[in-house]
Amino acid sequence: MSTTADEAELTFAGYARSRDRVGVRNHLAVVSTVALSNRIAVIAAQRFGSKEQQPVLAVHGQFQRGLQTPDARLQDRVIAQLVDHPNIGAALVLCHDRRAAQAWQHMLAQAGKPIEVLAVMDSQGVQHAIDRALQALGRLSVPLKQLQRVACRFSSLSIALECGGSDASSSVCSNPAIGRFVDAAVAHGATVIVSETAEFIGGEELVRKQSVTPEVAHAIVERIAATEARMSKDGDSYRGINPTAENIEAGLTTLIEKTMGAVCKIGNSRFAGCLSFGQEPTKPGLYFMDTPFFSPCSITGMVAAGAQITLFSMGVFNPSGNPLAPTIKVCGNPQTVEHWEDGIDVDLSGLIAGAIDLDQAAQRVRQAVLGAATGAITKTEAWGEGQFIVPQFLPSF
Amino acid sequence: MSRISLTVHPNDNVTTLLDFKTEDWLTQAGLALQETIAFGHKAALKPILQGQAIIKYGTPIGIATQDIPKGAHVHVHNCR
Repeated sequence: MSTTADEAELTFAGYARSRDRVGVRNHLAVVSTVALSNRIAVIAAQRFGSKEQQPVLAVHGQFQRGLQTPDARLQDRVIAQLVDHPNIGAALVLCHDRRAAQAWQHMLAQAGKPIEVLAVMDSQGVQHAIDRALQALGRLSVPLKQLQRVACRFSSLSIALECGGSDASSSVCSNPAIGRFVDAAVAHGATVIVSETAEFIGGEELVRKQSVTPEVAHAIVERIAATEARMSKDGDSYRGINPTAENIEAGLTTLIEKTMGAVCKIGNSRFAGCLSFGQEPTKPGLYFMDTPFFSPCSITGMVAAGAQITLFSMGVFNPSGNPLAPTIKVCGNPQTVEHWEDGIDVDLSGLIAGAIDLDQAAQRVRQAVLGAATGAITKTEAWGEGQFIVPQFLPSF
Repeated sequence: MSRISLTVHPNDNVTTLLDFKTEDWLTQAGLALQETIAFGHKAALKPILQGQAIIKYGTPIGIATQDIPKGAHVHVHNCR
């Protein structure tokens, strides 16, 4: 994948954004900064979409007030990163009260895109709040429509890797196919982020072997050890109960085999760095991000860090995804592909049948990535599937 | 009729069976299986001696706890 013809092939049509970044979508978004304003955000998005024939992406999570300072800071940072995300062309930022709105106005002053901040409590009634949101969306949609897709280099892509519903097929089909794609992607200057620290328990040797420097390996292994220690606190030994009886029945013999099945989605690439939740990489390459177990939460961290596309590997079906970074579902289990065809983007079941090989499988992944980057709608987007979840480290009561 | 198996990495000494035709004991790649092996389970691609590494994904995933003949089922009974 290093010939000139390939280089020409490895371009896509995206949206030029501030700081030399590229968006693969041009969303008009309404971002709710606190759970209190979620309903207004959803109603405004739906009404504007049906009235103006222009879809609006509602970005909301169970964002809280009254968190302890480190958690409040993390939540604010992630929300700011989502507003700043290159897949958003213009954003209405919804707050509950005027003071919060002033703070967000200040925080988003440098955003290189049209933004309006609105305090719901500045309105006189629920309907009035919705009307104000609709008016703001009307103003924001004008400059958005003028933006056109332009030719973009593959290296401007940042790709989040995730897996769920893993089975024997994931470890030999979707994960290694993604791994082969990742090797080519990193070689062509893209950024790739993998997360879910617990999934790396037992994979410490691989991390040491596949890190750019011993310091990077040390940082990652330290995060894995911290996660294992935290998980053991409730009296369970993660290594003792893993692989589980179910896994053993399915053919998995050792924890390292289970871990390798999951982590082979990084291919032969080397980690260039270890990131905290939502931390943005400063240069291209493969990165490890320290995140919790639940995939919508892990994906939120990688998307906050700028990933424009999520590659999601499945064995049995898993609806997880992210509304902001098109999620491409990759599956090699013939039964899942047959039953969940309307939820899968890349069918790799031909790998099991021997109809295709891993290079061809990786090629399909690449085509799906370039297609989604240029505007092809993924199954999770079509269903409006996906969540935003920010982890909380400290007790709030 | 022969079994579908997939070897992920050229250095692997095991292959993963990926179909339910457990009555067949020959893989499409020509490996003669020594026993019935279920979907998702592994077979030895070559003789593996006790104490040698089981290699999958090009990486040691365990150690053979006894000599494993070519084509035999590799699992918790002979690998840890």
